Amino acid sequence: MYDGEFAAVVGPSGCGKTTLLNILAGLLPYRHGTVQVDGVPVKGPGSDRGVVFQEHAILPWRTVARNIGHGLELQGVPRQERRRRVREFVELVGLAGFEERYPHELSGGMKQRVALARTLCANPVIMLMDEPFAAVDAQTRITLQEELNRIAIATRKTILLVTHNVDEAAFLGDRCFVFTRRPGRLKATVTIHIPRDRRIWKEVVADPAFTARRDEILELVRAEVRVE
Amino acid sequence: MTRFGRGRLRRILLGAIPFLVLGTLWQMNAVYRWLAPIHMPPPAAVWSAIFTLQEGCPGLLDALRQGSGCLLTNHILSSMGRVALSLLVGLPLGIAFGVLAGIHRRLGNALEPVGVFANAISGIAWVPLAIVWFGVGWRTTLFILLNTVFWLVFFNTLLGVRGVPRVYEHGVLALGATRWKVITQVYVPGALPSIVTGIRMSMGFGWRALIAAEMIGGDRGLGFMLFVSAQEYKTEEVFLGVLVIAVIWMLTDRACLVPLERWTIERWGLVWRPS
Repeated sequence: MYDGEFAAVVGPSGCGKTTLLNILAGLLPYRHGTVQVDGVPVKGPGSDRGVVFQEHAILPWRTVARNIGHGLELQGVPRQERRRRVREFVELVGLAGFEERYPHELSGGMKQRVALARTLCANPVIMLMDEPFAAVDAQTRITLQEELNRIAIATRKTILLVTHNVDEAAFLGDRCFVFTRRPGRLKATVTIHIPRDRRIWKEVVADPAFTARRDEILELVRAEVRVE
Repeated sequence: MTRFGRGRLRRILLGAIPFLVLGTLWQMNAVYRWLAPIHMPPPAAVWSAIFTLQEGCPGLLDALRQGSGCLLTNHILSSMGRVALSLLVGLPLGIAFGVLAGIHRRLGNALEPVGVFANAISGIAWVPLAIVWFGVGWRTTLFILLNTVFWLVFFNTLLGVRGVPRVYEHGVLALGATRWKVITQVYVPGALPSIVTGIRMSMGFGWRALIAAEMIGGDRGLGFMLFVSAQEYKTEEVFLGVLVIAVIWMLTDRACLVPLERWTIERWGLVWRPS
């Protein structure tokens, strides 16, 4: 992956997308091949690869602010500095005023914003996202996708998103890696040339550059589902 | 008063009715003498038993220092002191082993059956063996208490740690946490509601077991006091002892343990289910 790139991995359910992400995160061992971050092989989980999970992995006994600052706390960043950076990310994900709330007081979409801010605040080299918006309702998902795009612009982070949602992959990805059905292999790579600042749902649905690429991915994925 | 406060007050008053009925019957017996005082001493006699037992006690400070004349308070402090000591030792041990068994799958599978086995034996069942091992005295009562506290806290901690979703661990590992940080910041807080439940249960069972152990294998404490008073046919002291045992437990449970349990569970955002 390139620096600052947004890559999306799409494929039929059960093709091993999540497994791939867990291997990249260092949470699962791998048998063949190598995983390297900036030339350094991955040996286990580490703060250079932040992960946003499908479920709400934020800790229920920590407030929003303490969840977001958890990575900095683990890195031993002093309190003053931590508070400043937490405030910055609270504002980035639009959670100002909710700093002292506990996760159970938040909606599903807000919890996932906390998870996103928590990962970004630890300042990883790459952010791995495993179906981050699968558990929220359709309207919230669209809002969160546009916000993630805004955040990608603001932070210029390298992001790898795993999803089964073709629209999501095409909307967010610079490159989309389409996987075959189990056992998952890379089937095709689709590049999407739409500037980040023009990626707004209202605009892209009328943009042939988007719809053509999305339909192309959709066909590739459906071909895999159909064989079964 | 708020609606909640009024409902609570009504509940407390409702719960007090049976006690008032029993108390009235008890007092009526004192007047009409249905049962002989040797079997059923009047409330006034039980009340004055407090002062008989505390006769040689010069003051509150001496009672706290366990002075020689303060019989009742000495027995109370002795029983409560043992509970505190067993908590001090049993709690860290139970939590430590419980967390270890909870995160290490093999160790957990190896130790879980022993936990079930140990918790199946009531504390009192150990008393005869404990007397053989330790003789009559504080060692026996402490052993009974420790045994109860350790296994209950161990088992509840183990279950609590196992119930912590793996995704919490993964999330924190991806933030750069070490294994030790995962234990202290994910597994222990995640298991806390379960640990507190374990403490509450162990206090309940431990207190009962302690009284029984003191009766048979002790040389002081409330259980011992009950036993000796009964042998000397001081029924009013037996009544007093039983009442003190119940009141101490109710106060500990309602004023400390239940609020502690409720606080951890509510804070965690889990649904509080009244027990």
